[in-house]
Amino acid sequence: MQIRPIFAALRKHRLATFLISMEIALACAVLCNACFLIVNRVQLSHIRSGVDEGALAAIKLTGFDEDQGVDLNARVLNGLARIPGMQSVSVISAVPFSGSPNNAGITTDAEGKQFAGVVNFYSGGPGSFEALGLQLVAGRGPQEGDYQPVVHFVPDDALVWITQSLADHAWPGVDPLGKEFWVGKPHFRVAGVVAHLARPSPGEGGPSTIDWSVFVPSQPGAHFAGTYLLRASPEDLPRVLRDARAAIAKIAPDAVLDTTASQGVGNLRESFFQQDRTMAGILLGVITAMLLVTALGIFGLASFWVQQRRRQIGIRRAIGATRGDILHYFQTENFLIVTGGIVLGMALAFALNIVLMKFYELPRLPLYYLPIGALALWGLGQLAVLGPALRAAAVPPVVATRSV
Amino acid sequence: MFGYNFELAWRGLRHHPRTTLLVVLTMALGLASAMTTLTLLHVLSSDPLPGISQHLYMGWVDSRQLPKAGDSTTGSASGIPSHLKLADAQALLTAHRAPAQVMLTEIIQDVQNDSGGKTQSAVGIAASSGLFPMFGIALLHGRYWTPAEDAAHAPVVVISGGLSREVFGTQDSVGRTLRVGGKPFRVIGVSAKWAPQPHFYGLDLWAFSSSNADSLFLPVGALLDSGLGPFASGGCDDDTPLIFGKVNVPHCRWLSLWVQLNDAAQVAGYRQFLLDYASQQHGAGRFERPPHAKLYSVPGWLALNHVVPDNVRLNVWLAGGFLLLCMVNVAGLLAARFLRRSVEIGVRRALGAPRQAIFAQCVWEAGMAGVLGGALALPLTSFGLWVVRRQHQGYTDLAHLDPLTFAGLFGLALVVGLLVGMLPAWRACRVEPGLQVKSA
Repeated sequence: MQIRPIFAALRKHRLATFLISMEIALACAVLCNACFLIVNRVQLSHIRSGVDEGALAAIKLTGFDEDQGVDLNARVLNGLARIPGMQSVSVISAVPFSGSPNNAGITTDAEGKQFAGVVNFYSGGPGSFEALGLQLVAGRGPQEGDYQPVVHFVPDDALVWITQSLADHAWPGVDPLGKEFWVGKPHFRVAGVVAHLARPSPGEGGPSTIDWSVFVPSQPGAHFAGTYLLRASPEDLPRVLRDARAAIAKIAPDAVLDTTASQGVGNLRESFFQQDRTMAGILLGVITAMLLVTALGIFGLASFWVQQRRRQIGIRRAIGATRGDILHYFQTENFLIVTGGIVLGMALAFALNIVLMKFYELPRLPLYYLPIGALALWGLGQLAVLGPALRAAAVPPVVATRSV
Repeated sequence: MFGYNFELAWRGLRHHPRTTLLVVLTMALGLASAMTTLTLLHVLSSDPLPGISQHLYMGWVDSRQLPKAGDSTTGSASGIPSHLKLADAQALLTAHRAPAQVMLTEIIQDVQNDSGGKTQSAVGIAASSGLFPMFGIALLHGRYWTPAEDAAHAPVVVISGGLSREVFGTQDSVGRTLRVGGKPFRVIGVSAKWAPQPHFYGLDLWAFSSSNADSLFLPVGALLDSGLGPFASGGCDDDTPLIFGKVNVPHCRWLSLWVQLNDAAQVAGYRQFLLDYASQQHGAGRFERPPHAKLYSVPGWLALNHVVPDNVRLNVWLAGGFLLLCMVNVAGLLAARFLRRSVEIGVRRALGAPRQAIFAQCVWEAGMAGVLGGALALPLTSFGLWVVRRQHQGYTDLAHLDPLTFAGLFGLALVVGLLVGMLPAWRACRVEPGLQVKSA
C-alpha cells in the first residue's frame, strides 16, 4: 500500500481532513477525561467499609431532651432486643455512610505541635465493636472496663482502636500499639488496630483519608444517646429493621425517628453514593453520544468522498487495482486522519485534565488512558469508514468509461 | 435579497435530506446538552433577592478565642466563621452605622395552635425588627413587630400564609396564639410566600430547596426569654458543649449580622467601622485574637461557600466540549454538502454572482440548519431537565426552562449555526467557476 498518493489526495481536501482530525482530537480529549472520571467515581463507591454491611442497620432518634438520654438508651436497648431475630443492639455515634461525621484534628504530642490529620471518631457502646464485625489485625478487642463515660464528644482519656491506614499515616513503620495522641486536652492510647473502618462520609478530605477512623469504646449516657446499631442475619435484617422502626413509636413516643438515617447500612451506602452513580451515568451518556456523533460525522464525510471519487475509483479498477486495494485505500486514509487527530487529542486531553483538576479533587490523568483512548478511536474510525469503503470497492471498472 | 437567500437556503436543505437530518440532529444534541447544563448553572447562580441582594452585606468580627491544637472541625457546614455573640451583634446593631441592619439566626421549632391541635415542625428566623423591609418579606395580613417590641422581648410572631393554613386552617390568623416549642406567641402578621434561592442567610440548613421555606419569624429577645435556642452555632468559648436547641448565650456565637449598604463609600465605611469595633474590643481584652473583621457581599458569600456544586460546573465543561465536537462535525458535513454543489456554485459564479453572494448563500443555509437544530433541541432540553429533576438532590428540583433561557437557546442555536457555516462557506466561495463549468 502506497501512502504517498493518499497524502496527495488529502492535500486536495484540506478542510475536510482538518475537520475530521479536530473532531477526533476533541473526542480523544473528552473520552480520556470522562473515562477517568467514571473510573474514579466507581472506585470510590466500591470502597471497603470494614463492617458487615449486610447484617447491620442504624436507628436514629432526635428531638428528645438531653436529660432523658440515659432513660431513652435503657428503653430502646431493652425494647429492641426483644424483637425476634435481633442479634444485638448497641449505642453508637454514627455508622459508615450515614454522612454524619464526628471529625477532629489529632496531634501525636501533648503540646499540640505534631498535627497528624483530621480523623473521625466513632463512639461505640458495649457490644458495638463485635456487632460491627471489625477485623482486628493487632492488639486485643475492647473489654468491659474500657467503656468510659462521654465527657465532651468522646471520653476524655480512653483506649482506642484505629485503622491500619491511620496507623501507617500517623506512625509510619512503627508498631502503633500503645502509641498516644491528643485532641487538645482529651488523650487517647492505641489498644488495637483494625483492617478497615470507613468514615461516615468517605471521600471528604480526599481519597487517601477514607479509612481514617478511630473507634472509642464509650459508656452510653446523657451525651451519648439516640443512635443505635442493630445486628441481625442478612436475610432477617429487613424484617427486623421494619419491626424496630414500628416498635420505636411505642418505646420512645417522646423522640422523633429520623427515617432517612434509620436504614440498613447497605441502603445507606446506596444513597450515599447515589450522586456519584448519577454522575457516572451522565458521563457514560456523554461518551456514547459523542462517539455516535463522531462516527456519524466520519461516515457522512467518507460517503461524500466515495461519491466524489467514483470516477477515479473506476479508472483505478480499470487499470488493474483489485477491490481489496480500493478498500485498503479508504481504510488507510481514515487511519492517517484519525492518527493526526489522536496526536492533537492527547495534548488536548492533558489540557482538559489540568482545567478539571482546578475544579475538582482529581488526580493527574494516568498515561495509560492515552493508548486506550487511541485504540478506541482507531477502532471507531475503521468501523465508521467500513461501509463507505465497501461501497467504494464495489464501484465497477466500467464507470471509468462513462462521463459523470 | 432576504427572500432569495431564504429560499436558496430552504431548497439547499431539502436537497440531501439524509445529511440535512444528520446535521440538524447533531446540532440539536449538542445544543440540548449545553442548554441543559447551562440552565441548571443559571438557576443555581441566580440572584436570591433581585433588587435587594446587591445592597446586602454580612458583617463579621472575630470574637473567637485563640486557636488551640485539635480544634474540632465540626460546627458550621462551610467551616467559614460567620457568627457573632449576642452582645457584639447588639452593639453593632445599635450603632446604626448602615442605612439598615438586622441580626438573625435560623430556628427550627415545633408549633401548635392554641386549641391543642397537631404538633408540627417549622423552620424560620429569629431576628431584630429590621428584617421585613430589609429582606423584602411582604405581609398578607397584620404587621411586623416594632423596635419597641424588640426591646420589650414581646412574645409576638409572624407566620407564613402556608403555615397559618396548616396550623389554624385559615390564612388570616392575626390575633390568634401560636405555641412555639410549647410557649405562647401572639400572631401579629401573616407573610406572603418567601423562599429566596439560594437560602443565602442560612446555608447550614439548606442551599436550595423547592419544599423548604422559612415560615416562622419572631424577635430574638422573645426567643431567648422563652428558653428556645437557635439552630446555628458558630462555636462557643472554653469548649462549652454545643447542644442542639440550647445555647449558652454569652459564650456562644450564633447570630449573623446583615447590613444594607448602598454604595462603595458606605461599604468601605462600614468595613472600617467593623475593624475599629474589633480593635476596640481587642484593646478592652474581650477579643483574644488580633482584630479581624469581614464584610461579605451576597455573591461573595455564596461563592465562598461553594453553593453551586462542583458537579454542575463540571457538567457545563463537558457539555461545552460536546457542543464543540458537534460543531466541528456539522462543519465537516456542511463542507461536504456545499462542495457537492460545486457545479451549481460554479454556474452561479460564471453567471456573475460575486463571492459574497455564494458565501451568504452557504451561511444562510448553515444558520437555518442551526435554527432547525435549536427547535429540535427545545424538546430535548426539556427532556434533559426532566432527567435532572429526577435526581432529587435538593437543587435539581429547581431546574426548569424559563423564557430567558428559552430565548438564549435560540440565540445560541443561530450563533452556532452561523459560526459553523463560516468555514465551509469560505471554502465553497473559493470554488473556481471555470473548472466546474467545464466538467459539467
